[in-house]
Amino acid sequence: MLGRRSALGRGLMTVPAALVYIGLMVVPVGYAVYYSFTEYNGIPSQAPEWVGLENYTRIFTDPTGDMHSSLWVTGIIAVVGAFGVNAIALGLALMLRRTTPFTAFARAVMFYPHVLSALIVGFLWQAILGPQGAVNNLLTGSGRSALPFLSDPDWALATMIAVIVWAQLGVQLVLYLAGLQAVPADLQEAATLDGAGRVQVFQHVTWPALAPTVTVTIVTSVLSLLKVYEVVLGLTNGGPGDATQTWAYEILAVSFANNKVGLACAQAMLLIVVAGILSFTIIALRRRAEEGAEALS
Amino acid sequence: MSARFRRGAIGASALGLVPVLALTACSSGDGGGSSGGGDQVRMLVNITDNLTQAKWDELVAPFEEETGIDVKIEGPSGQSVAETFPTQLAAGTAPDVIQSIFPTEDTAPEILDLSDHDWAQDTPMADLYATDGAINVVGVGMQAQSLLYYNKDLFEKAGITEPPATWEDMDAALKALQDEGVKKPVGFASEWATGVQVQEIWHPQQNLTTPGWQQAVAGGSSTLGDQFQPMFEHVADWIDAGYTTADDVATDSGTQEANFIAGDVGIYPMGSWFTTTLAASPPEFEVGIFAPPVDDAADLPAPMGATMAFPYMVWNGTQAKDAATQLVEYLVTDEDAIAAQAEMDNFNREGLDTSANEYAGQVQELLDAAPSFVVPGNQTVGDFALPVAGFNEKFTEVAQGLWQGTSPADAAGQLTAWYDAEAAG
Repeated sequence: MLGRRSALGRGLMTVPAALVYIGLMVVPVGYAVYYSFTEYNGIPSQAPEWVGLENYTRIFTDPTGDMHSSLWVTGIIAVVGAFGVNAIALGLALMLRRTTPFTAFARAVMFYPHVLSALIVGFLWQAILGPQGAVNNLLTGSGRSALPFLSDPDWALATMIAVIVWAQLGVQLVLYLAGLQAVPADLQEAATLDGAGRVQVFQHVTWPALAPTVTVTIVTSVLSLLKVYEVVLGLTNGGPGDATQTWAYEILAVSFANNKVGLACAQAMLLIVVAGILSFTIIALRRRAEEGAEALS
Repeated sequence: MSARFRRGAIGASALGLVPVLALTACSSGDGGGSSGGGDQVRMLVNITDNLTQAKWDELVAPFEEETGIDVKIEGPSGQSVAETFPTQLAAGTAPDVIQSIFPTEDTAPEILDLSDHDWAQDTPMADLYATDGAINVVGVGMQAQSLLYYNKDLFEKAGITEPPATWEDMDAALKALQDEGVKKPVGFASEWATGVQVQEIWHPQQNLTTPGWQQAVAGGSSTLGDQFQPMFEHVADWIDAGYTTADDVATDSGTQEANFIAGDVGIYPMGSWFTTTLAASPPEFEVGIFAPPVDDAADLPAPMGATMAFPYMVWNGTQAKDAATQLVEYLVTDEDAIAAQAEMDNFNREGLDTSANEYAGQVQELLDAAPSFVVPGNQTVGDFALPVAGFNEKFTEVAQGLWQGTSPADAAGQLTAWYDAEAAG
């Protein structure tokens, strides 16, 4: 009797959270799924018209020639950006793992970009790297040629990835620092006493112990990179041409902006599906790697 | 762990996109945006350095005093009025009066038809923005688009005695400026400006060749690409000659305007709104303004590209319809209100005193000389609107490709393919 009452009490306590979750997540996503099968402009007095898979067909056939290029751009950003942000964050975390006044200051500096709005980050780097920005002014002032950071399509994409990596570094660094705190010091010490060098200690002790952290950082960075929008808006606004138009830019600045809510919802659904597949794939791969490592040990 | 990641994935993608839609579902859509009763009118306006909240309040103060109607000025909650209004419509919180944007195919049914009001028929450009005679947006004047600002000192140094009248004259002038060592003979800019500038230069010749070209494209007797390929060829020639570089289309219009004012740019294509900037920061050199070139000088003056200035529309669902309509009538017909708006952000209008701004005076002269006015391709309402959305954004993207090596024929082909796909739905 007491157990049943206790279970009821626990169940009741989850109701507020469940209501919030359903109201803010399940219902909107449900509507988005529905709208993705309709032609709808978002205006309540004009009812959505059921069009079946037409929006999805439009995405796959891409008759306007916009969407496939933005998928390609998003893929490059996700792959290169995730690798870059994790490699740099891990390297910095290894350098800053010991707490000293300098490392505490350095950690704060590294985290600082994350405090800034992504839109501000974009504007800031545009002022630094634009054709008449600070860097090019320095270059031309010293008699060198200006660099096309934002005016050449390839350079612009590379610049944008670099800026995104810079902006996201702080959070990944904190995660890696937290992960490193959890690596057993006695294991590292034992390995060192057994004659292992720094690289061997990292490879055989630190890296396996960091595996769960690596999974989290890779998944969160990939998810974050798949929906990059504000930096694009502030830094390049998708240009030059369509060189830096991402999938999220396509959804928010093209489809939504032109009242194509049905198409935008279909695009968002695909983003959710792709993000889900990538996340589960990364988790599965990491888990298999961890199991393999455990079997060997 | 997996559930957490699944939630993260869904949240990451959907959280920013769908709340408005949820609100859409929950809203009745039958009004409620106004406080109701007609005592208060909410007006959504563009807020900029020139159009400040204080100036808007000052503008409507005499109306409030005279009628007793309280006007609540609201700035955009999103990036712009264009972004905010559809969002508010979706949420059922649309304002009573909307300033600075035009109806679109989607929003037009939500806008009040003002055709029955005599005063609406007499407002500037009402005919060019009307659909089968129905007027749902009115303005106080016009902003000329087809304008080329030039540095008279640089022209004189380069030996150019007259503003270019034909494309050959234009090419010769740009070459002379380049030979004189001018950094940027012609100043294009990034983002929206690239597309707008290329169109602005082309309006006169385009409308000489195909009057009402939007209707020709919509009717199938011409293609969008064919309409712009000749202009793309001019731009490509200028890029090949080095009169403009890829850096230009990565430089924002504010910086390029500063370059012009600093004397680094020979010719700067921009609409009449640039006169406000010039008047606020007059350059040390003398500025001239001329209309874009055409094939044959005998065709000058040619049609002038122009848009409605300070457009106002009334939301059809407002509960304060009479008060909102009265406010709009006041804003577009009251002489003091018109003069106050001209001070806030320059526009031109027949009979309006432009003596305080020498640049606006030059624009007025060009407008007075123009045989007709034509609307640009991004016009979203009226008989001259292309039946597609997103024209300017696509045009800008395609035009910027010229600076990256896209041939004029390919750029024109991209435009046509885009239009055909959009028009087909």
